[in-house]
Amino acid sequence: MSPLHIADTGLFVAMGQPSNSRYQAVRRFARRNDITFVLPKRVYEELTVDDPDVEDIPVDTAIDEGWRTVAAPLEFSEPIVSRAMDGVQQYIASADDRPADDIERADAALAALAAQHIHTGRASSVYIYTTDIAAGDGAETVLPSEGYGDSVTFVHGFRFIEGLVAGGN
Amino acid sequence: MSRTSNRADGDLVRDFLSVAGLLEEPRLAQLYTYFAREGEATVQNVMDNLDLAQGTAYSYVNRLVDAGVVEVTRESQPQRYTTCEIDLTVTTVAGDREYTITPALIDAVGRRETNADIDTYIDRHGVAGLATALTYAVGRERGEVTHRLMADDLDISPLAAEMILQALRPVVDEHYDIDESGAGLDEMDIDDISADDA
Repeated sequence: MSPLHIADTGLFVAMGQPSNSRYQAVRRFARRNDITFVLPKRVYEELTVDDPDVEDIPVDTAIDEGWRTVAAPLEFSEPIVSRAMDGVQQYIASADDRPADDIERADAALAALAAQHIHTGRASSVYIYTTDIAAGDGAETVLPSEGYGDSVTFVHGFRFIEGLVAGGN
Repeated sequence: MSRTSNRADGDLVRDFLSVAGLLEEPRLAQLYTYFAREGEATVQNVMDNLDLAQGTAYSYVNRLVDAGVVEVTRESQPQRYTTCEIDLTVTTVAGDREYTITPALIDAVGRRETNADIDTYIDRHGVAGLATALTYAVGRERGEVTHRLMADDLDISPLAAEMILQALRPVVDEHYDIDESGAGLDEMDIDDISADDA
């Protein structure tokens, strides 16, 4: 059973275009370690939005190249999925001092997808790559309370990429 | 823009014009940021570090001095210059928003010439909008808010929010103390094969 690598919007934005050294470094890392980044569906939708103010993100290119894939919908029939979702929403709500209902479900979906894969035995551990510290910290705070403390790692998207580029990878 | 500040009336108009000028001319904003970063510098330093011709460098420095945002700290040659503190709150033309002009905001505006995302954002949302985005960028790095909450609040796409937050991250790094969060590459428990072996 291998680890699951869940990636948020910010990681792909930080990588830039295929001609960018950051993009190439992450692609090399993925290929060397036989990693496929999994995008929650909502993340894929964010990345492929038709917004004239922003440059297109080459997300489909990486999917075609085989090192990214879009996750199946969350299985809310699993109670752990709803609990992880609620827990992270509450975590972010308290960090930002606003009602939990106002918190975007996509922020919590990263942790919910992680919980689902560990709980159902489809992954031994999960890495969550995000540039939203609140979402990453939320996952690392909530999942231990469900008994998955050592299984989840919040990887800071910028520090990860900067490490790859600085190391000449 | 109109201004709301509580300093002596005689300074009001001059402050407003000078700071507004800084925000409208990225090169002046860059120069102000350079002095703020260095603490003290000469015109020669400016020429060397910002790659400006002598005439241009003197002209820009004099404009900042005339505007009252930079002052001479040593009269003997070569003169040295430093920034004056700016603390100015402005209200947008529509009167619906207020924001404070800070060295971080001036730094951000100065980057529009070299950062297409900042440039586009100012075109769409004005300097007032950029000031708001900078507030979110600080909150995001402190783990208080996410790009999706910013997008919801400001009615922009999450992708547009993420883009400007990333563009402003170096400004946040430079002007605010942020604790490190999450794991970097070194802290990941992945037995990465080195590039040499790949």
